[in-house]
Amino acid sequence: MNQIKERYVLTRSQKMMVFILSMSLYGLSNMITELVPSIYLGPIEFSIEYFAFIPLTLAMLFHPLYAAIGASLGEVIFGEIMLGQFGGFGELEKFIAFSLAIYIAGSMVRNPKNLRQVGFAAITGVIIHQFISMMVDIGKVWIGVEELEAVPGLAESIVVVEGFAFLNDILFSGILFALLPTLYLVPRLYGKIEPLLGMKPRDNTMRFTTKEIVTPRLVIGGVILALLAFLFEFLSETDFNVEWEADFVETFGAGFVWVSISVAAIIAILTVILMIMNKNKSKHTNGPTDKRNIG
Amino acid sequence: MEYTRKLTDKLSVEQAKIELLNTAYGNDQTFLAKLDPRTLFIWYLFFGLAPWFIHNDTVLIGLFAFMVLTTIMAKVSPLIIFILCLGLLGQGGYLLIAALFFGGGISTIMPLVMLTLKLSIISLASITVFCSMDPEKLSDGLLKIGVPGQVAFSISYGYRMLPSLLEEYHHIFLSFRLRGKAPEKHGFLYIRSIIYFIKIAMLSFYPLLLSTAKRSRTTVEALETKGSFYAFNNPKVKAIKLAHLIYGPRDYIFLALSLTYVISLFGLTRFY
Repeated sequence: MNQIKERYVLTRSQKMMVFILSMSLYGLSNMITELVPSIYLGPIEFSIEYFAFIPLTLAMLFHPLYAAIGASLGEVIFGEIMLGQFGGFGELEKFIAFSLAIYIAGSMVRNPKNLRQVGFAAITGVIIHQFISMMVDIGKVWIGVEELEAVPGLAESIVVVEGFAFLNDILFSGILFALLPTLYLVPRLYGKIEPLLGMKPRDNTMRFTTKEIVTPRLVIGGVILALLAFLFEFLSETDFNVEWEADFVETFGAGFVWVSISVAAIIAILTVILMIMNKNKSKHTNGPTDKRNIG
Repeated sequence: MEYTRKLTDKLSVEQAKIELLNTAYGNDQTFLAKLDPRTLFIWYLFFGLAPWFIHNDTVLIGLFAFMVLTTIMAKVSPLIIFILCLGLLGQGGYLLIAALFFGGGISTIMPLVMLTLKLSIISLASITVFCSMDPEKLSDGLLKIGVPGQVAFSISYGYRMLPSLLEEYHHIFLSFRLRGKAPEKHGFLYIRSIIYFIKIAMLSFYPLLLSTAKRSRTTVEALETKGSFYAFNNPKVKAIKLAHLIYGPRDYIFLALSLTYVISLFGLTRFY
């Protein structure tokens, strides 16, 4: 069927190098973006949301998973903890969304020299990240704040604010701070930065074994973490209620929790079943794939 | 004029670097810095989470006062407080403007104030805890509570490297400015200058990417030479490394005092 492709395998030290590189650089950029003030033009905010091009570039040049996790950890440590803006468990949602977006963007690129591919992957990464955070933000208000009427104008304002932020982030931050710099950096760094880490440049004959990384355990863990993150974010949002009632759980809390848990469980079970089926199928058709180390 | 000049002096990159180094290493003499990292984690676990579940104004104000006290005790650098205030005001103000725009009134302000209060309690707690620990201590503490060795190492490494990375970035940025040509006119609302600076800010990452790559390779090679990859998750090595972490009377006193304060706050609410 399809030709046998070499797996992109890194040694333990190389993984660590990519991880450290991504973490320290993205942490630095986060600190810079935190220091730069944002400009408000009426209700629209023009700000440097993040220098997304750094993890995007690294994810396209090296192993996407380690670049993505490194960048997320760098953000949490230097952008949040060190500057005292750590939001506790709500940060989990950000961590997951950002890692996922960068990982997908990085693994979409087969040939870093192909500008169209790089650009498409970069903007897709930004859209995935912003879309997840927008849905979480809107969702927790819609589901969470039942007595929304108690605070007039809040429901509409949150949806509009989030919608604005989404479009603004994609059109402004996404193009200026993700798409253009990535298009500039990736072809220039390709082939130059890899020898510095003692590895071969990625080439288009390599593929990523997504199936091996995305194990059922990871998916279930991710779903549970996301659910927890959502719950905590949701708790933070309910404070908009003027009157917090003790019978909150009685009115809708319990039902909501069970509904969301069961939805998450169904999704998790379905993914596991699909993946097991997929695995069996690929075993029968493809045969064992060639596993070789590079570098 | 005098005031703005003072402010810009405070906001220079040099100053930021010094403040960062101060945050990482400067205050190991404070009371909080002498505590065991686990004590600080436990303390943060409570004060970082509990405010979300508390919906009583008196308790929140009391907690806020306590956090201000601990922040002063931890001798947190003014830059970090400044950034914190900027962030809190920005977030609260933005939602407020939007809510007013859609017909909210005074009633919208109170929940926003309460939310901001909660956020600032949590932020101050995290500042207190993480500014009181130097990189080694933080890394040891994380290792002790079961975080993988690689992650714990990366955190302390990042803490250590960040000031020098910031300096290097600043040098590259300045050399770009030195060799480049700034726009002759500022343009409408300084738009040209802003675009120019943003462009340089991003271009400066190109050399930095290469030099950091080299540096991270050197680091990892040094780790390999020391056999750190073996040591990271070896229980025996861990035990030797973390032998200096012991609970002292200081830790118990600190936790007990915090607990007493919180309980008495809740007791206070019964009378109001």
